[in-house]
Amino acid sequence: MKIESLSIRSSTIAIISMIGIIAIVLSMFAGTYFKQAALDAQINSLSRVIQVASQEMLKQLRSRTFDLGMKLGHSSELISMLKAPAAIDKERLVQLLDDPFVNGFVGFSEIDLEKIRVYNLQLELVGESNTGPAMLGDELTGFLVDIVKNRKVSDRLKAVDALWMSAQGPLFSTLVPLGGLRPVGYLEIIVNPIFNLPDIGNITKTPVRIYSLSGDMINTNEQEITDGHLPVEFTLHASDGTPAFKIAGYENIDELSREMDNTQTVTITGFLLLSFSTLLFALWLFHRFLFTPLGRMIGDMEQITHGKLDLTVNNKGLREFHILADAFNSMTDQVRMRTNDLQRLLDLDDNALMCFDHDNEAVYFNTGATSLFGYASDEIIDLDSTDLFVDDINQIIEQADVADGSRQDSLHARLGCKHKDGHVFQCDASINTVDVLAQNGIAIALNATPGNELVSSTQSYQRLDAAEETLSSLLAFAKENPGAMPGLVNLGMLHTGDNDIDEQKAKIREQVVKVMNMSLSCWEHDLCKTKLELAEESGLWPVYIDKSTPTTRTLDKYLNIASCPKNPRSQRAVDTAEFVLRNMMEKSPGEKCTELHEALETFRLLLSGIKSRNK
Amino acid sequence: MIGSFITVRFITALTAGVFLLFSATLLAEEKPYAPEVIQDVVIVTAEQAIEMILSSPELLVIDSRKKTEYLKGHIEGSINILNTQLEREELERIAPDKTKAILFYCNGIRCLRSSDSINKARGWGYSNLIWFRGGWKEWTDKRLPVIIDK
Repeated sequence: MKIESLSIRSSTIAIISMIGIIAIVLSMFAGTYFKQAALDAQINSLSRVIQVASQEMLKQLRSRTFDLGMKLGHSSELISMLKAPAAIDKERLVQLLDDPFVNGFVGFSEIDLEKIRVYNLQLELVGESNTGPAMLGDELTGFLVDIVKNRKVSDRLKAVDALWMSAQGPLFSTLVPLGGLRPVGYLEIIVNPIFNLPDIGNITKTPVRIYSLSGDMINTNEQEITDGHLPVEFTLHASDGTPAFKIAGYENIDELSREMDNTQTVTITGFLLLSFSTLLFALWLFHRFLFTPLGRMIGDMEQITHGKLDLTVNNKGLREFHILADAFNSMTDQVRMRTNDLQRLLDLDDNALMCFDHDNEAVYFNTGATSLFGYASDEIIDLDSTDLFVDDINQIIEQADVADGSRQDSLHARLGCKHKDGHVFQCDASINTVDVLAQNGIAIALNATPGNELVSSTQSYQRLDAAEETLSSLLAFAKENPGAMPGLVNLGMLHTGDNDIDEQKAKIREQVVKVMNMSLSCWEHDLCKTKLELAEESGLWPVYIDKSTPTTRTLDKYLNIASCPKNPRSQRAVDTAEFVLRNMMEKSPGEKCTELHEALETFRLLLSGIKSRNK
Repeated sequence: MIGSFITVRFITALTAGVFLLFSATLLAEEKPYAPEVIQDVVIVTAEQAIEMILSSPELLVIDSRKKTEYLKGHIEGSINILNTQLEREELERIAPDKTKAILFYCNGIRCLRSSDSINKARGWGYSNLIWFRGGWKEWTDKRLPVIIDK
């Protein structure tokens, strides 16, 4: 596709359409990516929430075990037993340690108490409750041992705890000093954290499953899980860093997707509405401030280039278009001025300049030509080359072409010319074929001052050639701008390119011939006068003297459709008919008079119809 | 003219009202901190307090909080005297020697009770005062032994 075939309007609309399509596609992609990103973020977020919730759960567990430890840790009986380790009543010690299992304690239902053990200050096991698993061994978990042994004196009073892996699974221990600020040993409160882990679901508001490392489900918060739930796993590590168990929270993807779809629909619709509103507004702006002024300018410019040089381009528009229109207008003014100057120069040239179309009818003539041949300007336009020249111009050109096939310059010849009064004279001529409305025409420049001895023959031909070239260039301009040169009367009328107008001209010619024949018939039969008398008495038609014989060549042409000029002088035909009718009304008004009158009216109607349509 | 004057007065009054309400809200939400220092009073941390308690059995520890708070948990050996109920005669009864070391604590750095009690004691001539500014919050955060009364 050529760039010239694209208009700014179609390019702009195409660009805006592309932007619109890109906006749609991008919004679709963005929507999809947004959905995936939101899902990933939600999963990451849930994973972090599970992590925080598990820490919170451990914190609550720590608080419960600390409270229980503090209560037991101030038992005077326990303290006194540890102060005298040699005399410990083991049975009583176990009874004391079993008491929370038997009688309960504050927060009993909130933890799963597994075991209570007592150590001396050297962290040697002194005793443990009977209740609870028996396979925990007789040593404190190594993690707690390391912490307690590495602490400063003042820190040894602080309670410590750990999530640790026993042979039976993960357990949570809190070690509190026994004896308050003056400790005599340590009390270890051991609970099962799995009991509390489902509480994570209360924080995350999702179903939660607790799995062992081997993948067996060990606890759940009993919330329903559907196919629309996506598991988000988090591994809870023991205090020494080893994995303890897996916590799986289940995110309801269906609900999330539904919410995201709603959000996506709203945002995309909003974005698209906003985008399309902006694009439509941009399109309107383009239409208002670009397309419309530009279209108006182009229309004006086209009319100007087709000959309406008196038209000015509308310069109302954006700054660039305003400047462009002004530049075009000033250029048109220049062209009009130069063309007029050139035509005036040609009109006033001493040489006789004339141009004939392919039918040998005169298209252009200057004042030199009218004075050389003795015709008035309205007479010469009805003539053809055979009326003005003795020689056949076309034959001369053909002979010259045969003699010199590659001839490009003007043909120089001495032509025999016929004056209106009948005498024949010789003139130097520069002849060239020219393009008259896409058909071959002839431009002739005649030396109208043959007696000027001061000018050599070469100089004379050079002047003729220059004048002939100027005429050719004007004809070329007139071809592109018909109507631009008022002097080229026939040229403007000849150029139509419109079938309707061609048909009208044909009708006019037919009607002209009909009116003229009827007028002549009335003149000859009813008034009994000759054609020559019609020309002379009416003064409308020239009378020529050919070899001492008066002729009416121009009038004769209007009596035959074949010889009638393509652009006949309609008014002259009307005037002739009216002249005949006036004479007939005076002498013998009759049927033929009525027929001529009707034919004349028909012709007038035809002409008035054409004029009103051309307006 | 009168209408515009009334309008101006109304807008001014409304603006002043909104400003006062806003200020009051801000003041209500802003809970004051205990002073950073009290002149001639030693400020200690939880660990230093423990060391003092363990090294000086005669150290008097006064819990300046409410009774209910005290019962929920307190430092071993402390006695509960709410700052507003601290009387000169009462203090002189339990600490006749005004050079005796007395440690005060309350809920923490946002609590003014212990500092108030200390200021009172200073005014009554007690010279060896110790302030556990971090108070109960610091104590429990460090998971130190507490006494919980039923």
